[in-house]
Amino acid sequence: MTTSLVWWAISIYVLIALVIAFLSRTGKQHNMESYFLGDRKMGGFVSALSYSATTYSAFMLVGLAGLTYNGGVGALGFELIYLMGVSLVAFFGPRFWVVGKKYGYVTPSEMLGDRYKSKYVAIVVAITNCLFLIPYSAVQLSGVGYLLQGVTNDAIPYTTGVLIATLLAIVFTYIAGIRSVAWTDSLQALFMIVSSTVVVLILVNGLGGFTTFFKTIETTQPELLTVPGNGFFSFLTFLGLTIPWFFFSLSNPQVSQRLYMPASLKSLKNMLMGFLVFGFIYTLVAIIWGYSAAIMFPNLENADLATPLVLSSDLVPPVLGVIVMVGIMAAAISTIDSILLTLSSLFAKDVYGNIKKNTSDRLQLRVGKIVIPIIALLAYLFAEMQLNLIAVLSVASSAGLIVVVPAIIGTFFWKRGTAAGVLSSVLIAGIIVILLEFFQVKPLGLASGLWGIGISTILFIGVSLLTKAPEAKANEFLSYIRQALKKES
Amino acid sequence: MKTNELTWALLILFIVLLAFILPYTLLTNVTKWYGSFLLWIVLALITIIMNYFLTKNWGKK
Repeated sequence: MTTSLVWWAISIYVLIALVIAFLSRTGKQHNMESYFLGDRKMGGFVSALSYSATTYSAFMLVGLAGLTYNGGVGALGFELIYLMGVSLVAFFGPRFWVVGKKYGYVTPSEMLGDRYKSKYVAIVVAITNCLFLIPYSAVQLSGVGYLLQGVTNDAIPYTTGVLIATLLAIVFTYIAGIRSVAWTDSLQALFMIVSSTVVVLILVNGLGGFTTFFKTIETTQPELLTVPGNGFFSFLTFLGLTIPWFFFSLSNPQVSQRLYMPASLKSLKNMLMGFLVFGFIYTLVAIIWGYSAAIMFPNLENADLATPLVLSSDLVPPVLGVIVMVGIMAAAISTIDSILLTLSSLFAKDVYGNIKKNTSDRLQLRVGKIVIPIIALLAYLFAEMQLNLIAVLSVASSAGLIVVVPAIIGTFFWKRGTAAGVLSSVLIAGIIVILLEFFQVKPLGLASGLWGIGISTILFIGVSLLTKAPEAKANEFLSYIRQALKKES
Repeated sequence: MKTNELTWALLILFIVLLAFILPYTLLTNVTKWYGSFLLWIVLALITIIMNYFLTKNWGKK
């Protein structure tokens, strides 16, 4: 894979994405709802592709393929149980959607603040989201840096790759807010899945077809077809990885905010079903990719090298290899730009909007637009510094964000939930998750995410029962949902 | 939560529990593609089909 071929591929990808981003501009983006939610008029097809591109990052073809290489079929179970967890959208999606329309919520934390009648709930949840998601974005940027450095044998330095990804994420976010993000996401999602599926089919064919492919694994590395297999996926490890991801669709604001955007319940349904099909195919592609690496390059010291080695192998034509490389880059950037947009809306609406009194919608939008490059710059600096704490917070992101889940479930299903319950559960459980990750401790062998969800649930229920609930708001909120859902479906 | 919705939720929860339990009990010694590999694929497909039926009337009124 020559450096000039890589540069050509990146240039063509950037050019097409920029054209699509500019074409996505329709009407004026003069308020928060328009810029961050597309006026709640997003179609099902674009929503599904954008949700897919936002969810699936560079982790799939690098991290998940590496997990398969190291631990075998447990990686498939982990990722497919996550996909089953997206079924939560079938229960929570319509509820988010109807209250979003009725009360004009722009962010999930704004909804929590209103439902529990406390601006501190909105502020704390928004800051918690930023604390975990900015480092997560930094690691995505690092992924692009390492990828370009790896496939070009250092001809494209790490910093150049990180800088390209940061600038593209800012541009895609800035041009038209969620519209440019959603449309460029859609392009990138199609790019990711088509290119990687074609290469996987070529790999399997080159390794003798599906029957021979699995026969080879069964005879040479049978432990990759069972759990715990070689011990990599012990049951507690599997549980610790899977449970936080099972709740991803509720705990991560960059995807839960998407539940406010569809034009109708039918669009929301199409978004969910489209994503489930996309996720199922892309997961199988990533797993078979990892198995291919295990057959072609057994005994690698570092499983993260599996994907670059497969891409530059004789089985993959160089042009296809470079297209998949751009697909992996697109997967990272489409995740980062969505996180950028969501975090800037959280800061503008929930932090700035609550701390500074009487801010207009227009002023909040201006603040949101100013914050986008600042968050991107923070992520860029974190990626450049490669600090240990950043890696810790990034790894802890799924475990750390899970502490908000009891409060979200309580929002729709428990009248007795209180602001004190939310604040104590999010703050205390969040700090415990960070400490467990920082000191690499697993009390009773359980991972930080399991402690996070357990402690936050106990605190949310316990403290709520000891404090006074906003009963009038809860009754009004829940009875409206009942009526609206009866009318809609 | 309506009864119908609760039934679907319990069914999906049951499928998820199977996805956690079966590979670590009945299938630990099956080192073939039709062991845990196939089981997880089938359970995911069942969940996707359940989601289809759960959401098929959305927005029809």
